[in-house]
Amino acid sequence: MNFIAHSFSALTEPFGYAFMQRALLSCALTGFTNGFLGTFIILRRQALLADALSHSLLPGLAVAALLVGLSPGGLLLGGLVAALLVALGGEFMARNSRLKDETAVASLYIIAFALGIVLIRFARFKVDLSHFLFGNILGVGNGDLWISYGAAFLTLTTLVLFQRPLLLTLFDATVARASGIRVGWIETGLLTLTVLGLVASLQAVGVLLSLGLLILPAATAYLLTDSFTRMLWGGAFLGLVSSGGGLLISFFANIPSGPCIVLVMALLMGLAYLFSPRYGVLTRVFRGSHFHEESLDRWEGHQGHDHRVPGKD
Amino acid sequence: MTTLPGQSPLLRIEDLTVSYHRVPAIHHLSLALGRGHCVGLFGPNGAGKSTLLKAVAGLLVPETGSITIGEQELPKAAPLIAYLPQRESVDWDFPVTVRGLVEMGRYHHVGLLKPFSATDSKAVADAIDLFNLCPLAERQIKELSGGQQQRAFLARAWAQEADLYLLDEPFSGLDRGSAGTLAAAIQTLKERDKLLLVSHHALAEAAELFDMALLLNGEMIACGPTSEALSPQHLECAYGTAIYSGGHRHRARP
Repeated sequence: MNFIAHSFSALTEPFGYAFMQRALLSCALTGFTNGFLGTFIILRRQALLADALSHSLLPGLAVAALLVGLSPGGLLLGGLVAALLVALGGEFMARNSRLKDETAVASLYIIAFALGIVLIRFARFKVDLSHFLFGNILGVGNGDLWISYGAAFLTLTTLVLFQRPLLLTLFDATVARASGIRVGWIETGLLTLTVLGLVASLQAVGVLLSLGLLILPAATAYLLTDSFTRMLWGGAFLGLVSSGGGLLISFFANIPSGPCIVLVMALLMGLAYLFSPRYGVLTRVFRGSHFHEESLDRWEGHQGHDHRVPGKD
Repeated sequence: MTTLPGQSPLLRIEDLTVSYHRVPAIHHLSLALGRGHCVGLFGPNGAGKSTLLKAVAGLLVPETGSITIGEQELPKAAPLIAYLPQRESVDWDFPVTVRGLVEMGRYHHVGLLKPFSATDSKAVADAIDLFNLCPLAERQIKELSGGQQQRAFLARAWAQEADLYLLDEPFSGLDRGSAGTLAAAIQTLKERDKLLLVSHHALAEAAELFDMALLLNGEMIACGPTSEALSPQHLECAYGTAIYSGGHRHRARP
């Protein structure tokens, strides 16, 4: 009895600390929001574009650190501006020249990166960006929490409000444009939200792993369902559960929280990849090669019936 | 201008020129087409078949001329048009069922947030029924055959209550059976007083599939009942020379 009470108090221990409560709240918000947003990124096949953007945050952070020091708001603003410049600049170049968008964005991001490294040489004080490379979830301050709230609110309301035009654009941008949807605005808005999602997850997992929160839960949901709505909310739910779970595991196992969260997401994705009822790799191996009922139906259908298609011959 | 007797035209194109990087793909084309016709678009590669369809769909900005659908010019007329993409441009792995695809056709009726009304649900059910998709309604779109996929897109256009259907090479890559059901579906739409513009490359089945034909080679060569428009003389004019080299009726505006 004593043992049970003891382990229970050990389990609830992290919830007693204010820093841990704040960390959990921030993780849950970001995990949910980015899991939701991830569906749009995956279906537009922009996972690698988002990766380029996540790296283009870094020079922005460096410049902001030079200009306004290490205040969280300033650094986040710097990252946001840098990634937005790269993303929108890339779109602009792609629309106005022969360059395709991934070439344009890749060029701009590597240029920005080089520029950032040059700028950091002029720092008057030593800039330590390791928190932004790897995250610092236990150091979530009030400012960071407000940023999480703001990003989550803005992203979720925008995506829910414009869900229908977004869906049409994702499915077929050409047809969406023909039916009168402002596809250009939709694409720009989606890129902006992607950058916001990356910036919001800096505190939790850092620049280098921020892509994980956007891609892994949504990819897991994509392997599990054929419904767009279920993929959206499923990705959000998986993001919430795995970022919260990952944070708790990192607390008990005393390992860095960023990689821990991403690895929990990876575990779920691996399970879906192998065992998804419809699209699992192993499920396919163990399932029979075809439905015998359907073959039988066809065979019986052919007895006596003429199965040729009307309108031909 | 080719005008048909009887009704007022649904699609009216006047003096349309569309060009890519200053090279015109369609020169000063004018025509008028009424409801209840299935018009085949013929011509050699590069004759401007896809260009014409895209211009009517509002995907290309015309250099000269105007396109009117019903009483309205293009941006406003968008809900009346259904543009069916070539099959290669669709992501068939997209998480959507046939019913979900048809529901997309209703989006401009319901707006951003309104839930589907009884009218909307009925329009979706009717569209699925009309194209014989009932047993397939809950399937993901990749699990359909080529012809069924084309019918699913036609059902979406029907739910949208479009009047003008633009089909870009819908028969390419379909086997005989699928082509037959697609032809039947197109026939249904024609009988229900829709106007269909269908680009097609094989001349052999032209008379079976289309009651009218539009022969293009940069300029309009002929437009009318299929057998007349595709007369040997017209075909020689369209396919005999690789590039149209005659004089143009209008001078391009500076």
